[in-house]
Amino acid sequence: MNSFKWIKVLLLFVFCFILQTTVSEWLQIFGAGPDFVIILIVSVAIKHGPAAGCLWGFLAGFTQDVYAPVEWLGVHSISMTVLGFAVGQLEEKFLTLNLPTKVAVLAIGFFACDLIYFVLTGLEKDVVMNLFLSKTVPECLYTVVVGAVVFHLSSGRQKKNV
Amino acid sequence: MLRAFRFIVELFTQRHGVVAFVFFLMLGFLMRQAPNFVRENIVSTALGSVFYPAQMVISSINSFRSVVSENEQLKEENARLRQETYYASEALQELARLHTLVRFDDKWDFPIVTSRVVGHNPGRFLTTLVINRGTNHGVKENMPVFSMKGLVGKVTKASYTHSRVQLLVDPNLKLSVIEKKSRIVGFLESVDGRMLTAMIPTHAGVKEGDTLVTSGLGGIFPKGIPVGTVKAVRKADLDVMRSMDVVPFQEFAALEEVFVMEKEPEWIIQELLDE
Repeated sequence: MNSFKWIKVLLLFVFCFILQTTVSEWLQIFGAGPDFVIILIVSVAIKHGPAAGCLWGFLAGFTQDVYAPVEWLGVHSISMTVLGFAVGQLEEKFLTLNLPTKVAVLAIGFFACDLIYFVLTGLEKDVVMNLFLSKTVPECLYTVVVGAVVFHLSSGRQKKNV
Repeated sequence: MLRAFRFIVELFTQRHGVVAFVFFLMLGFLMRQAPNFVRENIVSTALGSVFYPAQMVISSINSFRSVVSENEQLKEENARLRQETYYASEALQELARLHTLVRFDDKWDFPIVTSRVVGHNPGRFLTTLVINRGTNHGVKENMPVFSMKGLVGKVTKASYTHSRVQLLVDPNLKLSVIEKKSRIVGFLESVDGRMLTAMIPTHAGVKEGDTLVTSGLGGIFPKGIPVGTVKAVRKADLDVMRSMDVVPFQEFAALEEVFVMEKEPEWIIQELLDE
């Protein structure tokens, strides 16, 4: 990543957090909203590889940790770092991913991230089950729909540039 | 400088990012394993140095200062009036039950600090808010925080210009509540950081739609602040208790302004907290 790309990702990162704290709430349907941050981490990891995925995943996770219970500090950071690294293995430099594959990666990444989060927080099994069904599943579906639009638009822009 | 930066980047990108992965993962686990005061320091430093200024700017984009200050005055007055109303209704109930007049020492005569919510968790699990009032406005740790509709939580960390508010949905906050009609005391907590659950003795006969208010026990929250309504009642593990889902009076994600009650914990509670 050159300096220009670093700045570009940093701006996108800030923009995503603004979206997450403002627009995401307005877009909520039955209490479920899209997670723009996960979309960003997956996009950055696919585009720039596992090292960038780890870095931005960690930063995004830490930002969320700051506002989470102090006792759970590090939980988001770990889950997002794992997400960034795992998705980064599918870096576009080596592979070409089509839209459905990217969307599937986003969905799997979303579930994996939440699963790691639940394991690390040490919540009880029935609480996790309840959260998984009432929070993870609907928000994953919503995020996947928004992610598909974002991926489609960004791939359209890339083709245009080519 | 640039060379050092390049060296670090090259080091981290080695072996297809494994070095970066191990580094960040270790950092995460170190934070996870750190003692509570270290975690508290990490969070406070991060909030004070980067996140608070950034969120302050973001939250200020659409606010016109003159309108806000006028609005704040009006809201403060409104909150005070509401407090008085809550207190009056509580006092009436007390009077109806008691034949002789007793001395009340839980009056809500504490000053109020109006504050704006400038930051909250950008993730999906909201448990903490950041407000734009700190020790220089008289805010201290463990002061109750409420909105126009009811209880929000308490201040867990007060810095000079801002404070961190622990919301009711934080699994680490346990609260003593009282059912408004039966006056039976129970406790309220959140086990998953999302839903509120109350445990109240079965003989209280609590049913759907009943209101819970703070009991005043515990010495942090004054008696009578509305907390929420009972949504569903279930059997708990013990027959003598009922577990119930509670819907708070406000949606925490939508809070824009909150009020800090300048009430410090009772001395005995303060001593326990200090310990």
